[in-house]
Order: sequence, then structure tokens, then C-alpha cells
Amino acid sequence: MIFSLLALHIAVCVLLVATGRRLGRNSLLVGAVPPAAAAVWAATRLGAGRTEAADLSWVEGLDLALAFRVDAFGDIMTVIVSGIGVAVFVYAHGYFAPEAEGTPRFAATLLAFSTAMLGLVWSDSVWSLFVFWELTSVTSFLLVGHKRTAPAAVAAARQALMITAGGGLVLLAGLLLVTDSAGTTLISEMPPLDGTAAGVGAVLVMVGAATKSAQIPFHSWLPGAMIAPTPVSAYLHSATMVKAGVVLVAVMGPALGSLAPWRPLGFAFGIASVFWGAIGALRHRDAKLILAWGTVSQLGMLITLFSAGTPKAVLAAVTLLVAHALFKGALFLVVGEIDVRAGTRNIDELGGLARRMPTAFAVAVLAGLSMAGAPPLLGFIAKEEAVKAAINLDGAEAWIVGFAVIAGSVLTVAYTVRFLVAVFGAGPATTLAMRRAAMSVPAAVLGLAGVAGYAALGQLSDVVGSAATRLSRAGEVADLHRWPGLTLELWISAGVLALGTVVGLVVSRRPGRVPVGYAARWTDASIDGVITFGRAACARIQHGSLPVYLVTMVATAAVAAIPFVGAGGLGHLFAWHSPLQAALALTVIGAAIALAFVGSRVAAGLALGASGITMAALFVVHGAADLALTQLLVEAAVVVGFVLAFGHLSRSFPKVGLRWKTARMAVAGAGGVAVMVGLVAASGDPRAAPPLAEMASASLDEGGGRNVVNVILTDIRALDTLGEVLVLATVALGVVALARASNGAERPSP
Amino acid sequence: MNTALVLAVGGLTAVGVYLLTGRSLSRIVLGYALLGHATVLALLAAGGSAGETPIVGQAAPEAMANPLPQALTLTAIVISFGLTLFLLALARRQRTLSGDDLVEDDIEDRRIASAESERDTVAGEPSGAPAP
Repeated sequence: MIFSLLALHIAVCVLLVATGRRLGRNSLLVGAVPPAAAAVWAATRLGAGRTEAADLSWVEGLDLALAFRVDAFGDIMTVIVSGIGVAVFVYAHGYFAPEAEGTPRFAATLLAFSTAMLGLVWSDSVWSLFVFWELTSVTSFLLVGHKRTAPAAVAAARQALMITAGGGLVLLAGLLLVTDSAGTTLISEMPPLDGTAAGVGAVLVMVGAATKSAQIPFHSWLPGAMIAPTPVSAYLHSATMVKAGVVLVAVMGPALGSLAPWRPLGFAFGIASVFWGAIGALRHRDAKLILAWGTVSQLGMLITLFSAGTPKAVLAAVTLLVAHALFKGALFLVVGEIDVRAGTRNIDELGGLARRMPTAFAVAVLAGLSMAGAPPLLGFIAKEEAVKAAINLDGAEAWIVGFAVIAGSVLTVAYTVRFLVAVFGAGPATTLAMRRAAMSVPAAVLGLAGVAGYAALGQLSDVVGSAATRLSRAGEVADLHRWPGLTLELWISAGVLALGTVVGLVVSRRPGRVPVGYAARWTDASIDGVITFGRAACARIQHGSLPVYLVTMVATAAVAAIPFVGAGGLGHLFAWHSPLQAALALTVIGAAIALAFVGSRVAAGLALGASGITMAALFVVHGAADLALTQLLVEAAVVVGFVLAFGHLSRSFPKVGLRWKTARMAVAGAGGVAVMVGLVAASGDPRAAPPLAEMASASLDEGGGRNVVNVILTDIRALDTLGEVLVLATVALGVVALARASNGAERPSP
Repeated sequence: MNTALVLAVGGLTAVGVYLLTGRSLSRIVLGYALLGHATVLALLAAGGSAGETPIVGQAAPEAMANPLPQALTLTAIVISFGLTLFLLALARRQRTLSGDDLVEDDIEDRRIASAESERDTVAGEPSGAPAP
């Protein structure tokens, strides 16, 4: 079923790309079909506690496989990802005007994202998880930059991609360390890890999760991404993609939770984001940005709870995950409708909407109360559980996390109240466009789901509880309670609601200034810096001078030879076979040096001849008469060719600067040494003596020749030798063609 | 391994590289020929000890130099000869067309290098992502 669903997603995606132009805006409805199928499939599995696994191995030796495993938590995530997906597809059908350009492209990209997100929450192998993780970053980039011509959209998309994809690289490094320590790439089979390498891996994984889930200080891309069409903000940037980091922390928790840095780091990211996000939500005046900053805060809460990792905390986190997806999705859809109908999202320009958009107002109140944690809504239960889990932690953690959860909840209530009052309360009368049913229905469904979740708490408790059991690998997790009774948590909740309402009302009366986005500016500046640096580096490295390229390459090769110095021992070295070899070796080096430094081309040609003849003599001493003969013939031809080619050119070589000459000499010397090092190291291995007697008798008996070298060339390697002849013939043709061409009258005027 | 031959290989390589990095095509051809020499000597030195020419009847089999590397080396000599000649022809053609035998900079690379510094960034205005 897993592969069938993925295949369905991909097939429809391809279909949309191929036929989108004809379908127009309706491509969004076609795109809703695969998520609907996935949502129904997962919904039938909810609470059944079944685990479905599927894998497709690719490189077995490297443990590279597409391994999927859908358990109770996977079911919940699938219902969220695909269910909200369906709502968003339908909503987008109303959001985009019929004549809007690029809607089919949007539908196809949104469906591609949906596919990647499903793959991510279904992955059991860390490598398939990583691949889908990056795919969500890429599709998010495309969706944020949907308005290709708007520079602000392009810049925001770039920033989102740089941060999330950069975080992806950090995650990759972390996963490498973690899988190395765990000895498996399957998350479900990872034991609780320990050791330094795993600890470093845990830090990197947590940082990767923080970039994706927009945690301080990597949060700046999320408010920036609000420039995307609202369906994208509702789907990717509140309900699903930003949850990827949270999901990662959740599923890796059992393996990494016992490592020292995991919990403190998670608490640090999470708690900082809870507060800074909530403060942001209290200060901004763009309704969508208020929600986005609220998302940063809520994601911080989720990261904190999943990092804590106790069964209670995980239960609270899963409940909050579900509740947040519902209420934040609904709120975004409402804001999108206001944006489309009123033409603005600025809370200073909105007024009287409570009366004039009653459905939207009702949905916003339902979702808002759930966000604030008021009964009788799902958010209330989530917050109760969160408070209970936090104050039941051990020692100082109970105080720190407890304070963060409670104070964060107060701020959450405050920004919710401010949001509702500022958007729907009194203000300048707004002109509204026509109502579109496709926009209000999905929002209402998501809003009512929060009520339904509270009403059907018995079933929900089973579903969430079994997911929490799987995630925390605990035996049994407590049930959710519809009404906790007059416990400490309830009194805390009441206080939170009262205090938060007061703060919210006070803040919403204050005409604030729009804050400056320092983090976003710094991020943009650093990205620009990297690009500028890259351009400058490219201009310096790819300068066009071929000799400098060559010097660089040789110098690199020389450095690469350093590890081989003395490798294989020096015991096999001896001075010479005969002193004559030493004399000839010195002569050939001398001839070469002379060749390099003589001023005239004719003298250089002669020096080349001298070196060639010395080579021939070396061959003779070595016992290679055939080589010597060939060398003499070849050398004569080369010298003649050299003189023919350059003889009537000006006699001396052009002069070059001393510094460049010195650098070339140094690098050339290093290159020579590197070759010697390589040669000595390569010959260090002891080898068997060559079977000389066998070769000699085989030469005579099978090849019918006395000269063993010739028999090898013309008999054993006959085909190679034929190829060699062909090479020479080709060269001869080429040389003749080039020589003929130069005789024509095509010489250009200089 | 024969140190004298190793030294010769190193010396020939060094001078060959030095010549290859010059601007004059004729010197580059010379450098190429020297590198060919170095390679041939390296093959020979790595192939075993010196001995008598491997001709059955003239030398006892156990006194022969290893004939196999010699056969391979012979191919190397011939092929590097072919390439050297072709390089010479190319250099001569270049001389005919431009009047000298100097290696020019890669014009494409030059253009990239200068264009990179001039091209405008697509960044536009800073993103609309204000923070609190």
C-alpha cells in the first residue's frame, strides 16, 4: 500500500505537469485526489496499532534502501499531512482567481511537496528520510517563490532554501555519525546510543531539526516565507513541513535521548523559540506574520516536549502536534480569505469583520480558543498535558521547562486575544469582495475538527496514546482526560487564561511599531557575502592562464604524494646495476637542463636529440636493445620535426619574469620529487621473480622467434600492436592535413 | 630499485613540467618529449633489474632482463612519439596563423572571470521578513 500510494502521488504529479494547461484551476482538484486516498487509508488504520513496512533496497552493501515503516505515529502524521493537504487543495481552488497564471504549476509543486512530506514521515531508513527531507526544502523553495517576478518573493525563497538546505547538510553529517555508532540505518532498530561520536551526531541532528522547524536563531526564514500564497503558508509553513524537525526529534528521541547534549540543546532551542516567537506574535501588525511568529513559538514548545522524551511529555507533544496542525491551519485559511476579500492583512486597516464575515469569525474564534488552550477544545487537552508533563520532570528541569510551558502559554493566550481583537474588532470599515465557498468550507472543517477531537476524546486518546507508546518506547502511556478535575493543572490553566487575556487586551490597544527584522537581514547579508565571495574566488581561480592552471595541478599532485614518502620501505633501493647507468643518468638530466635553459630554438632541438640518444644508451645498458633501436629512430624524427616546425621562427625564446620562473621551478622540482616518491613506494612490494625461462621457451616454441620482446609484441599482443599502428597512421594523416592547411593563403592579417 | 634510474626519472619529470608551464609552444613540445622519456624510464626501472638482451640463444634465460616491461615500454615510446609529432604540427599551424608560438589565455575563462565581478545580483530588496 505504501508504494501504491507513493506511485499514485507521483503519477498524478506527472499528469498535472503534462496536462495542467488544459485543466487550468481545476488541476488543484485533481491534485487533491492522491492526498485524499492517503488520508482515508491512514484514517482506517488509526488506533488499530498495525505497523506496515515496505522497502526497496538499492545498494545492499552500503545499506542504501528506501525503507518505509508506518506505525501509529505515522498514521497520525499521514492523516495530518494528507488530510490538511486535501483541505488546502480545495481552499486554493477558491484562493486563486480563475485567470491567475501558473496555477497548474502550483498544483503540481504542491502535490510534489505532499509526496515528499509523506515519504519523510513514512521513512524508516535515515537515508530515505534525508532524501525526502531535502525534497521538502526544494519544493518549499519553489512554492515560496511562486511569484517568480516579485524580487521579495525570490529573496524570501532563497533565504528559506539556504537555511533549510544548509540545515539539511548539518543533518546529513549528524546522520552519518549516528548510523556509524548505531550500526544500522533503520531508525526503528537503533538502540539507545552512547559515546562521543554519537553525541556530536546528536548535536548535528538537533541543529538540523532546528533549522527546519524555524527555531531561534534559524527562524528568520519562516516569517519571510509568509510572502508565499496563503495555501502554502497554511500547509507547509504551519501544519506540515515545519513539523519535519519536530518529527525528527520525536523519532530519534529513543536512540539519542540518553546522550548528554540532546536534552539541554533541545530545551535551549525550544524555550528560546517559545518566548521569542510569542513576543514576535505580540508585536507584528500583519495578521499572517502574527500567526507565523506564533508558529515559531508553538514549534519551540513541541521541540521542548519531544526533547524531554518522558512518556507524559511525548503524549502531550503528540496531542499538541495534532491540535496545532488543526487550529493553525484553520487560522491561516481564515487570514487568507480576509486577505483575498479585503485586499489587506494589516490589522490597522481591518475593522468590523466579526459582523461582516461571520463564518470566518466563528472559525477563527474556535481555532483561536483551541490555540489559547481553552476548553472544550483539543488545544486545552494538549496544554493540560504539557503542563502536567513539564512539572513532573526531574529536578531543575521541572522548574525550567515548567516555567517555559506556563509562561509560554500565557503569551500564547495573549497573542491569540490580540489577534482576534485586532483582526475582527473595531477599526476602519473594510470593503470586502465576494465570498467564495471553496475558501470558507475547508477552514470551517479544520476549525470544527478541534471540537470533534475534544468530543471524541476516547478514540483520540487511544490513537494518540498508541503513537506516544511507540515513540517513547514505553510500556503504557496514560490516557488523555477530557476534564482533569480540580487539579493543580486546572488552576494553572485558569490563571494562564486570565492573565493572558489581560496581557492580550492591553497589548492590542497599543499602537505598535513594526519591528525590524535583524535576523532576516543578517541572514540575507551572510548569504550575499557567500555569493560575493564565491564570485571573487571564481574570478581568481578561473583566471584563464593555462600555465597557472598547470602549475596548480602539479603542486596539488605533489602535495598528494606526501603521505607516500617512505611508504613500502627503502630496503629495495640500491645505487645502480653498473656505474655506467649513473653516468648516463647524470648525462640525461644534464641534457634536459641544458634544453630548458639554452636561449635558441636550434640549440634546444639539439639538446633534445642529445637527451634522446642518452636514453638509448641507458636502454642498451639495461639490456633492452629493441628499445634503444626504436628510441634512436624516434628521436631522429622528432628532432627533424622540431627543426622543421620552429626552425625559421625567431631564434630565441620570449623572456619571462624572474618570480614566475622561480615559482615554476619550485613546483616542477616538487613534481619531480613526487614522481620519485611514487615510484619508490610503488616498487616497495616484494614480487615474485619473472618466469624468464618459461618466457624464453614459449617464445621459441609457440611464437617461433628468438627475440622475446618482438614475439610479445607481434604475437601475444598482436592486436595491441595493430592498434598502435593505427594510431601512428592517424597521427600521420593529421600532421599532413595540418601542414597542408598552413600552406594556403588563409593567413589572416595580424 | 635502481636509484640512478629513479633520479633520472625525477630530473626528467621536473624539467619536463618546468617546460610545460612555459608560454612558448615549442618549449611545451620539448617538455612533453622529456615527460615521455621520464615515463619510459619509470616503466623500465619498475620492471626489474638490468640483464642481457632477451634473445634466446644469445643469453641464458636466467641472465635476461625481463622482456615484458620492455614490450610495454616500446609501445609507450611509439605512442609518445606520435603525440609529439602531432603537437609539433599543431604548433606549426598556430605559428602560421598567429605569427608566433605563444599560448594565449583561455578567452572563455577570462570572460567568465570578468563577467562574474560585473554581473548584478538577483537579490533585489531584502526579504519581507521583519522580526520583533
